[in-house]
Amino acid sequence: MNPYSFRSFLQITFIYYCLSTYRFFACRTLLTFFLLTASQAFAVNHYEVVINKSVGESNISVNSLRSVFSMHLKTWPDGTKIRVFVLADDDPLHQIFSKEKLNVFPYQLRSTWDRLVFSGTGQAPIKVGSVEEMLEKIISTPGAIGYLWRANINENVNVLTIK
Amino acid sequence: MKMLTCSQLSNFLTGFSDKIVKQFMLLLLFGSVSFCASAENQGTQKAIANSQGTSLKWLPASALPSFITEVKRPTWVNNAADWYQKKSVQGDFQIHGFIGQSYIVTSHNDVFGNSDKGGSFGLTEAGLNASFRPLPKLLVSAQVLSRRAGEGSSGTPRLDFAFLDYRLYSHEANQFGIRAGRLKNPFGFYNDTRDVPFTRPSILLPQSIYFDRTRNLGMSGDSVQVYSDLSHPKWGSFSTQFGIWWPIVHDRDTRTSVFLPGMGGNLTREPSYIGRGIYETNDKRIRLAVSGIWLNTDYVRRPGESVGGQSVSDGSLEFSPVYFSAQYNAERWSLTSEYAIRHFAYSNFNNKTLDGIHFYGESYYVQGEYRFTPKWEGFVRYDALFTDRSDKSGKQWASENGLSGRGLEHSRYAKDITVGLRWNVTPEFMLRAEYHHVIGTGWLSRLDNPTLGDTHKEWDLFAIQGSYRF
Repeated sequence: MNPYSFRSFLQITFIYYCLSTYRFFACRTLLTFFLLTASQAFAVNHYEVVINKSVGESNISVNSLRSVFSMHLKTWPDGTKIRVFVLADDDPLHQIFSKEKLNVFPYQLRSTWDRLVFSGTGQAPIKVGSVEEMLEKIISTPGAIGYLWRANINENVNVLTIK
Repeated sequence: MKMLTCSQLSNFLTGFSDKIVKQFMLLLLFGSVSFCASAENQGTQKAIANSQGTSLKWLPASALPSFITEVKRPTWVNNAADWYQKKSVQGDFQIHGFIGQSYIVTSHNDVFGNSDKGGSFGLTEAGLNASFRPLPKLLVSAQVLSRRAGEGSSGTPRLDFAFLDYRLYSHEANQFGIRAGRLKNPFGFYNDTRDVPFTRPSILLPQSIYFDRTRNLGMSGDSVQVYSDLSHPKWGSFSTQFGIWWPIVHDRDTRTSVFLPGMGGNLTREPSYIGRGIYETNDKRIRLAVSGIWLNTDYVRRPGESVGGQSVSDGSLEFSPVYFSAQYNAERWSLTSEYAIRHFAYSNFNNKTLDGIHFYGESYYVQGEYRFTPKWEGFVRYDALFTDRSDKSGKQWASENGLSGRGLEHSRYAKDITVGLRWNVTPEFMLRAEYHHVIGTGWLSRLDNPTLGDTHKEWDLFAIQGSYRF
């Protein structure tokens, strides 16, 4: 056997091995990336802003949403009352919602509400004890707005898209 | 206590805000009467429906003696309870309150009672407020406040605020409205809610800006205010409040703070102005505010009084401070600073000593807060007050008032270093402690420390507080 051809065979085998390993790694990395993005996409989209069926809105701007949860915007565009429901400050859904959708920390929302309540210039949102209660209140209260995990959303509430 | 409250209320009714308050009460009364009427109708109808449904023969209500027919009241009460529950579930009717008790120990000088001699439980704060939204754009709210704090506040409940808020314009995140009644004075970051322990960074607010000595004057007044909230998707939001107000001037602490020895007359209130603008980035990380007050009061002399050996005629006092506030909020920490320049002037007294009083005071503080966990918070603050910024050491004042050599210059300034810790035991219950090291007695209450010569320049204060809210 030609030593050169053997060497080139070895080289080719080695390169092929390297490539396959690389491919494996590349695939794994790609897969990891895909899974990460997928899980991230899942993290962003596994909850929604929900409203009572009586509200005639299908979307809202981030700015208006922030104004609603800061308790400054009090009426829907048709003039009816907005009624805001929230979970406890330390509830994971409340924290994710505050940070991701409103871009504020839960403690800032709390101090905004306290300033309104104790100066009389506004009201506090209504605190509910669980997502089940949130769903129940959104279904039964005209003008209600809140947030829910996707798993808890049913056809009795409307989802509000954020523009 | 009750009597006192009534007399306070009647004083309040006879005051300037007469019309506003009467209309407000009329509205409440009207609202409750019309609701009662409808509730009662419903109740009667229900009772009739019930009686028809049963097989037993009931006597018609009219055949019974009146004291028996009055038994229908419980239905009325039930209906009221149902109504309340429905409205409160929907959030239209809300009741909130708080109570706080502090224990204060000081070295030398007294703060809120005999804190120098073994400490005192002298500071108790409690408040109860209700708000109601009868119409989508109308908000009615009122708060009663009781504060027991040394000689200056006896704990007698006072009407802290009671007003109507009507939203005149609302488009997306932009709002414009009007408020009328007794309103909290909007200045600085904390004045609106200064008596609510949960909303303040510390047991004692930085005294250079939020004097507890003249708090009754600065806290709330009868006022008409317009407000606006403008919000931009990128730039952030800008909120403004501006109003004309009639300050509450007839309390002892205010008089002791602004009068000179020998003055024994009374203050009457004149239209004054107040305004504040707050800019916030959309993430509320940066908050900037400017507030200003233009306070006017007239002085009515007591016959025959004299200051500096000269007679005094009726004059006026003008107090016009401007406040600049800034705050940066990160997830774990916040940095806050406020600066105030306060113009103070006496005029038209036809008295050399008094008419010569015309100076600028200066105050500022810098405060850092750190949230170790959502339950544990700590803060550090440096707070400085100069009664007259052109005489920061108080020497000129001492020589002018014949007090040189007695070491009382310290009554014209105060520098306070504070550290504190706060524990949010539950969202409703909080405990905290703080330690102050103070040089100067500039903000010390004259009522709690009546003899200037007995006060000490360098002193310490330690306080703990427990507070509950709902």
